[in-house]
Amino acid sequence: MEDFQVKFYTNFIKDDRYMYLVKGLGNTLAITFLAVLLGIFLGFLVAIVRSTYDKTGKGKLPNMICRLYLTVIRGTPMMVQLMIMCYVVFGKYNVSKLIVTTLAFGINSGAYVAEIVRSGIMSIDPGQLEAGRSLGFSYSQTMWHIIMPQTFKNVLPALANEFIVLLKETSVCGYIGMMDLTRGGDIIRSRTYEPFMPLIGVALIYLVMVMAFSALVGKLERRLRTSER
Amino acid sequence: MSDRGDVLFQITDLCKAFGSNLVLDHISTEIRKGEVVVIVGPSGSGKSTFLRSLNLLEMPTSGTICFEGRNITDKKTDINKYRQKIGMVFQHFNLFPHKTILENLTLAPIKLLKKSKEEADREARELLRRVGLEEKESAYPAQLSGGQKQRIAIVRSLAMHPEVMLFDEPTSALDPEMVGEVLQVMSELAREGMTMIIVTHEMGFAREVGTRVLFVDEGVIKEENNPQNFFEHPSNPRLREFLSKIL
Repeated sequence: MEDFQVKFYTNFIKDDRYMYLVKGLGNTLAITFLAVLLGIFLGFLVAIVRSTYDKTGKGKLPNMICRLYLTVIRGTPMMVQLMIMCYVVFGKYNVSKLIVTTLAFGINSGAYVAEIVRSGIMSIDPGQLEAGRSLGFSYSQTMWHIIMPQTFKNVLPALANEFIVLLKETSVCGYIGMMDLTRGGDIIRSRTYEPFMPLIGVALIYLVMVMAFSALVGKLERRLRTSER
Repeated sequence: MSDRGDVLFQITDLCKAFGSNLVLDHISTEIRKGEVVVIVGPSGSGKSTFLRSLNLLEMPTSGTICFEGRNITDKKTDINKYRQKIGMVFQHFNLFPHKTILENLTLAPIKLLKKSKEEADREARELLRRVGLEEKESAYPAQLSGGQKQRIAIVRSLAMHPEVMLFDEPTSALDPEMVGEVLQVMSELAREGMTMIIVTHEMGFAREVGTRVLFVDEGVIKEENNPQNFFEHPSNPRLREFLSKIL
């Protein structure tokens, strides 16, 4: 027990080492939050373009661009995309690492969100589109007022899962020198030569965040589900 | 007979093909204001496709549909504006499951007719009272029975003040004991003078409420007549065979 106290002290308290974790956590949350927003935006956009093409045959070129995007992003490792973003795309410019990382993760997440949302749109009964159109709504009005709200509810669990994956996946951004939670824990380890405390600590923080997020989504899901009773 | 009214639909040589399959084969007819036209025929005969082409849920392959003298198959026609005047009731109701009954009724009037929420709500409640479902206004579609859903679907269309109502097998997905309540609403609507075009298998209803009955088979109108002659003196052999099977 005394041993534990000593180790806790050297790893977290001494020299304010916990600040590595606090700073890292801040960055992890910032990256995840911004990347989620970008991912949702890109994902919904791509999903709407793709399903509009599937349903009406309109927008052939945008559909092809979207398919290229999906193929490239889903066919290459996240880490490689991150390094390309950092050293190739922004290699010559002095851009903040936070922006580089957010862009890389947002663009990556968008591809996965797009396929989730597209399958959600396609799973809505075609009768809903017909009912909307027969009342006089345009295609986009029907999408906005009738199809998308139902889609959102249906894909929420899958989206939540994607964001949990994203949150954990940001842990690779230490590779380009971004100071995130994982990197923070690793720095402590390199100072104290003591892997157990910092790494288990980091793992626990991720776990708590994921659990809290899952609980939150569960609550939202139950609220959205009222119409099915 | 009510064929004194103005011509609403003038349909000329309407064809619809799905690939090489010709579903509608040069259909021509006209539909006048105040008529209750009932379309019967075997499944796969093209009767639903015909009905759905009238509000362009199916785009005709060739031929013209004129509504109040305007060719709606013309590319320049604003389909969305046109559809506001054409109510449509589906076999599977197609209520919006994420909206309450009241919201189902007011969504289109508020967004498309630019009515205030108060006015739309008031009209919607009036319509709900007409079909005896005023206490369901804050329920969701999933909480309703099939017959109730279909009655809501009918008043959802009526909330747009359509000039014609299209019914695509409105009672086919209902349990037998719920068919009556839906047909009753439709009969009342007919009595009030609404122009209606109905695809159905309810022959009793066709006979009682219809002003004209069309027999569609193999994409062609094989026979049309007033209900009495249609059912009592059918001349087309296919129609005779059809009626002998179902009556």
